[in-house]
Amino acid sequence: MLLVLGLMTVFSASTADFRRQLLSLVLAVGAYALAAAVDYRRLERLILPAYGFCLLLLLAVHFAGNAALGAQRWISIAGFPLEPSELSKVIMLLVLARHFAVRPGRERELRTVVEAIALAVPPLVLILTQPDLGTAMVFAALLAGMLFLGGSSRLHLVGLGAICAIAAPILPHLLHGYQKQRLEIFLNPMSDPLGAGYNLLQARIAVGSGGLLGHGWLHGLQGSLGFVPERATDFIFAVYAEQFGLIGSAVLIGVFTALMLRLCWSASVAPDRFGYLLCSGVAVMLCFQVVENIGMNVGLTPIAGIPLPLISYGGSALVANLAALGAVQSVMLRRRLLVYRQASDDAYLLNESGTVRLDPGLKSPLSA
Amino acid sequence: MIDLGLGRWVELAGIEPRARWTARLAIFTTLALGLSSVLVWRLVDLQLIQGPAYSRLALVNRVHRIPLVAERGVIYDRHGVQLVINQPAWSLDLTTSALPSDDAARATELAEVAQLAALSRTELTVRLDQDTDAYRPFSVKSGLTDVQAQTANERLPSLPGVTLQRTAVRRYLDPELFSHLLGYVGPINAQEFKTLGPKGYLPDEVVGQAGLEAGLEDVLRGTDGWEDVLTDANGQVVKVLDKQAPIPGRSVYLSIDSGLQKSVHDTLVAGLTKAGSKAGASVVVDPRTGEVMAMVSYPSYDDNLFANGISQADYQKLLNDPARPLFDRAIAGEYPPGSTFKMITGAAALQEGKITGSTILDCPANLTFGAWTYWDWAHYDLGLMNVVKALPTSCDTFFYQVANLVGPDAMAAYARDFGYGAVPGIELPGAAAGVAPTPAYKLQVCPYPTGSPDCNWNVGDTVTMGIGQSYVLATPLIQAMYAAALGNGGTLLRPTLVHEVTDGAGKVLQHSSPITVRQVPVDPQNLELLRTGMHQSLTGNWGTAAIARSLGFKWDGGCKTGTAQFGGSGVNLPSQAWFIDFAPYVDPEFASATILEDAGFGEFTAEPVAVQFMNYYHDHSAQIHSGD
Repeated sequence: MLLVLGLMTVFSASTADFRRQLLSLVLAVGAYALAAAVDYRRLERLILPAYGFCLLLLLAVHFAGNAALGAQRWISIAGFPLEPSELSKVIMLLVLARHFAVRPGRERELRTVVEAIALAVPPLVLILTQPDLGTAMVFAALLAGMLFLGGSSRLHLVGLGAICAIAAPILPHLLHGYQKQRLEIFLNPMSDPLGAGYNLLQARIAVGSGGLLGHGWLHGLQGSLGFVPERATDFIFAVYAEQFGLIGSAVLIGVFTALMLRLCWSASVAPDRFGYLLCSGVAVMLCFQVVENIGMNVGLTPIAGIPLPLISYGGSALVANLAALGAVQSVMLRRRLLVYRQASDDAYLLNESGTVRLDPGLKSPLSA
Repeated sequence: MIDLGLGRWVELAGIEPRARWTARLAIFTTLALGLSSVLVWRLVDLQLIQGPAYSRLALVNRVHRIPLVAERGVIYDRHGVQLVINQPAWSLDLTTSALPSDDAARATELAEVAQLAALSRTELTVRLDQDTDAYRPFSVKSGLTDVQAQTANERLPSLPGVTLQRTAVRRYLDPELFSHLLGYVGPINAQEFKTLGPKGYLPDEVVGQAGLEAGLEDVLRGTDGWEDVLTDANGQVVKVLDKQAPIPGRSVYLSIDSGLQKSVHDTLVAGLTKAGSKAGASVVVDPRTGEVMAMVSYPSYDDNLFANGISQADYQKLLNDPARPLFDRAIAGEYPPGSTFKMITGAAALQEGKITGSTILDCPANLTFGAWTYWDWAHYDLGLMNVVKALPTSCDTFFYQVANLVGPDAMAAYARDFGYGAVPGIELPGAAAGVAPTPAYKLQVCPYPTGSPDCNWNVGDTVTMGIGQSYVLATPLIQAMYAAALGNGGTLLRPTLVHEVTDGAGKVLQHSSPITVRQVPVDPQNLELLRTGMHQSLTGNWGTAAIARSLGFKWDGGCKTGTAQFGGSGVNLPSQAWFIDFAPYVDPEFASATILEDAGFGEFTAEPVAVQFMNYYHDHSAQIHSGD
């Protein structure tokens, strides 16, 4: 449903983008099916090579990437523009999930925390220097979420929070000029309505003018006339909200919330720790992106180049997000404890954590 | 069914695992739910509560009212010869709201705009001060040359807010010939905008500034329309939502005949050159209708210079020219009428009973009134004569005596009856009234302190007034209407330049009809005496205008020459050469007045000019009046 809404909105924002998005969607559905079919436990072995490959891609972007909008984020692979930072989000998620999962009982150790940070920092730096503040923020959120949900000790979390709080004042010095400006505009959007605050104001006008029912699909004027900037990507929500109004927006947020609940539920029923971390990680990643993206569209959060998952135009992100959801589906498909009975014997087998355990003493769980 | 090498196993069932909600997962889930609620709450605020306000903002964003400037009416001569066209042109427009917000970048851009518009930085600032709507393109300079437009076009991409707009500029097709008549349009200045703004003029519109362009402004200017357009973020029009079409200005067919105008102009210029004179004017009217058929003031100027806003240099050059080309002598040049005034002196004397047609007076070489002696032009005795003979001989001493009998107030009254001292009701702005002087007038204009004896009217003022000197002044237009009244039997008509007014579809809205100012209170038999005198000027052997025959005059009519001294009193003063006439003698259809400044005797300089264009009219009258 989200995908359909996304396609409709991309279509309304730009027909040319729509066709490519449709193609990406076919790829993404394939990725979803593949990820769901493959037992997620088998991914564990692939994770470290994938991590290395991901770092290589990010490095390649630095040296051979295509610049757009003042940043170098894309590389071309066989004619398709690829945005490795989008894929790296999912890989980072898997890396962190595996990292916290392979250390049963050691998740509270400081070492685990430090190692997790050490794993996250190299791609984060590479992305931050593209520069792609948005994706870097997703990384940071993902890291924080995984530390929290992965079971790090409260002491470490508080300590990290304190370090971040101390580091916060020096952040503005590290930001690019336009990033600083975005922050200032967020704090005072009317200071320069025709200049830097233009995007924000126009997006807000688009959202506001949607009213209760919206203008109807393909009838959003702010969006179609180009007043809303980046209307197929970062500000797609504004285009959507203008067309479908409050009801449509509430439905969209409702669907996202349902997805989020389902992800959290998946985490709660995952048969093992890796599955749990994988599901909750996807939940953290999507939740952060959705809240930040819609938030910036309605002026609640500062502007950062974060697309709205599953809705915004962008093939790499769509494939990456659907692959992540596919992985969650893979966990879901394997959540059940399967009970087997030997044809000749009265022994039972349980599958759990990827292993088949013979348990002759087990009573039939069905009768229990 | 799976086979692990331990035999075959049959899948019995799957057990739904129990959900394990850790505290942290629960916290995260709650957080996600909370954030969603915040977003929804924010949307309720934006879309429902503030929705109407944002909808209005969205309209401001996208819907703009663009004025559609009505095309200005075209001016034709009486036969539809087009005298001015609305030429398509490029205008350099600036939308100030779209200029860069950075001060330095803005200044750089404005400097370049000034350069592209060929304006000084100050001129541009003055121009932009009139821009009242920052969101509407404002014409900085209209009528760009092709080169200017091309240069500007290449620079447009790097100049936000600057656009080129297709407009129309006035182009006068025969500028030297019609410039005083048609005048010109020009951009509205700040002061004019104060009065014109409330009438619906736009600050970057043009308005008639001189001539008929100014005099017929209300006729020529159409009614502007507007268009509500939907624009995209770049200001490009996407869709027209509503539109009120402009109503173009009306077409005006002048009473002027182009051929006659050219003939009058050419003969006047030739006559001026021959006489060594620098300036002159001629006015031809139809004594039956009051329609002006030709009107020339020389020197002239190129009114196309003004159409797009004249440059300061060009304007100074015109202003500083000693021949005053911008001055329309035909309607605003006030000159002493000299001997052409004698019909008024005669009319006053006859009508007031001071003389009759058979009153015989001497015409000596000079006469003495009070302490002063006044000479006749001839400086010898022309003998005894009545008024009919005094006109063709133009005997000054005869009219000194008559004037002395009539007195200044009665002469002034008859002069006013013939149109002196009142602005003729022509469609041109700036027409002068001339002067029909009285003792009260002298007192009023006297430069000396009140009570000074020099301010009192004296007999010298009276007798010289009789021959059109003293304080008498008239314009060529007043003189032409005076000649027409003498010709048509005493009807003073209101001069008009407009033959017909039509709307855009060619429907005639207004057709000129003669407007009588007054019937001059002179009995027909008295008027006939004056007309006979004027006739004999042409036909009598002794007539001052008898030279006409040797000039090949083909017609018949009445006339009077005038040689009006100016620049003080005494002898050997420079003189303005006058010639006024009507033709033919019976039921005249032609009357004119011609003046050549500082050109000696009227009969030698002004008359040959008039004779030539009268001949032209005589040969072309059927053509000129075809379709009336």
